[in-house]
Amino acid sequence: MGIKLYRKPKLEKPIMFVGWPGIGNIGIIAVNTLKDILKAEQLGEIESWDFFYPRKVSIRDGLLEDLDFPSSKFYYQRLEKKDLIFFIGEEQPTEGGRMYGSGEKAYQMANLVLDVGLNFGCQRVYTSGACVSLIHHQMKPRVCAVISSEVLIKELKKYQNTILISEIGGRRGGEGTITGLNGLLLAVAKKRGVEGICLMGEIPDWLSGASFPYPRAARSVLEVFAEILGIGMDLSFLNKMEGQIEEIIEGIYAKFPAEMKEEYDRRKFIPQAKPGTITIQAQIYIDERFKKGGDEGGERPI
Amino acid sequence: MEKDPFEIYKTPPLQNSSLIVGWQTRDIGKLGYKVTDFLNEKLGGQEIAEIKPLGFFPFGGVRFRDDLVQVPESKFWACEKNNLLIFRSDEPVFEHYQFLNSVLDFAESYCNAKELYTLGGVVSFVAHTSPRRILAVINKAELKKSLQGYGLENMTWEGPPAISSYLLWLAKIRGIPGVSLWPEIPFYLATREDPEAIKLTLSFLNRRFDLGLDLERFNLDIRDQNERIAQLRREDAEINQYISQLESGLRLKEEEQLKLAEEVYKLLEKGG
Repeated sequence: MGIKLYRKPKLEKPIMFVGWPGIGNIGIIAVNTLKDILKAEQLGEIESWDFFYPRKVSIRDGLLEDLDFPSSKFYYQRLEKKDLIFFIGEEQPTEGGRMYGSGEKAYQMANLVLDVGLNFGCQRVYTSGACVSLIHHQMKPRVCAVISSEVLIKELKKYQNTILISEIGGRRGGEGTITGLNGLLLAVAKKRGVEGICLMGEIPDWLSGASFPYPRAARSVLEVFAEILGIGMDLSFLNKMEGQIEEIIEGIYAKFPAEMKEEYDRRKFIPQAKPGTITIQAQIYIDERFKKGGDEGGERPI
Repeated sequence: MEKDPFEIYKTPPLQNSSLIVGWQTRDIGKLGYKVTDFLNEKLGGQEIAEIKPLGFFPFGGVRFRDDLVQVPESKFWACEKNNLLIFRSDEPVFEHYQFLNSVLDFAESYCNAKELYTLGGVVSFVAHTSPRRILAVINKAELKKSLQGYGLENMTWEGPPAISSYLLWLAKIRGIPGVSLWPEIPFYLATREDPEAIKLTLSFLNRRFDLGLDLERFNLDIRDQNERIAQLRREDAEINQYISQLESGLRLKEEEQLKLAEEVYKLLEKGG
């Protein structure tokens, strides 16, 4: 079970941004986009064969050319004020047919990611994911944070459009679970003395089971990343993907019966404390082809 | 998972052996099981070791089939005279990478294996009356050269890998030349036996390793199976039409495929 580093750059207390696929792929879109915008360079990888069955074989004219595994790669970049390490996992290692990371393999992977971070002197890690909430899809998603230590509250309060998870409506004392590796990594980081913050973009509850991404929430997370790093980011290239997804969502929304639409639209004006019947009813309007299999994962209201 | 994944019953008597691997999970046309079984029977294969199942298979209960308890098996046999190491196994459910490496570890470390041959049927739309081909996937160009003249056909494909392809890839990394043999099996024989494909595969191995095997018994099986299907064709015009279409190189609709597969399954089930 190994890590392969392609190079060993000298980094000063780098902060780490980590993303795996999850609900709406919000976290991985945000982290991957940040990595691309900053033109981060490849640093290394976790050897995938210990964690995954290969997903594709290429055979040409009788010769076995290659076997393709989901990748788990590290990147790095030096900014003027901060050094950064990125980790992008194309899949979460799972046990028992679950969709999101769980069990011993997930724990091992989380530790390997941190091994690399600690090796370069990393003291803080950011993960990102989805916060399933009672938001209307036409509203700007907020970014909900879960942190590893109270000392981080003050810093988080500085960021625009960002709230602590306990501040979101419809929760009992801010309790919940961040399913999968975007959550598990925070636990492992805390155990190993590394500060951890999970920034989750809001996604409407009825869209949490859809198979398409939710880039609006990824944009919100990216805006917070930009503030954290003190940099400007041109996110206009997300417009096209956002537009395509909005079209699908608006199409589903247009089919809501008037009464249901009225109840749902209240979300725009009054913070909702309970999902109500809207959640179940609206999910029916997501065509089967947009629904995901497996467990639901991600962060959910309790 | 246990530290040492093997249980060795007998010191393997092989040197510079060839490893032949058959899987008994998703075994199309029962090819992997039947070929390895025949080789062990005719070449005096001796059970020498197994890979212990813990960590590779689920143990939350027990599977049963036809009223019989099924235990996952992963065994090695040595055919000393012919220098063949035969491995037959259920496909592991967990830790594929470690399992497959364990197969190669045993073959290399204890039996000095120099070549790998994997066996598995590939579902095809040929009729059972048509000649079969063996499609081949090879992990080294040099081996491809040395297999010319055996009538193997080169496969070209991209998609999810079978476990044999995974093993072949791991062998490639270790520098062990290997070939996956994929004889065609008519889709309506996929869940039964296909003696024609079994014989074809054994013919290849017979020639490759100069085994001197008498394969006459498969001619009887082929004749018997063909006769039974011919009888079904005489009795059922629809089935006859479907098979005729396949014989003419035409594809069947999905419901026609299902009907043919179902009728042939029932027919061959009667005779065991």
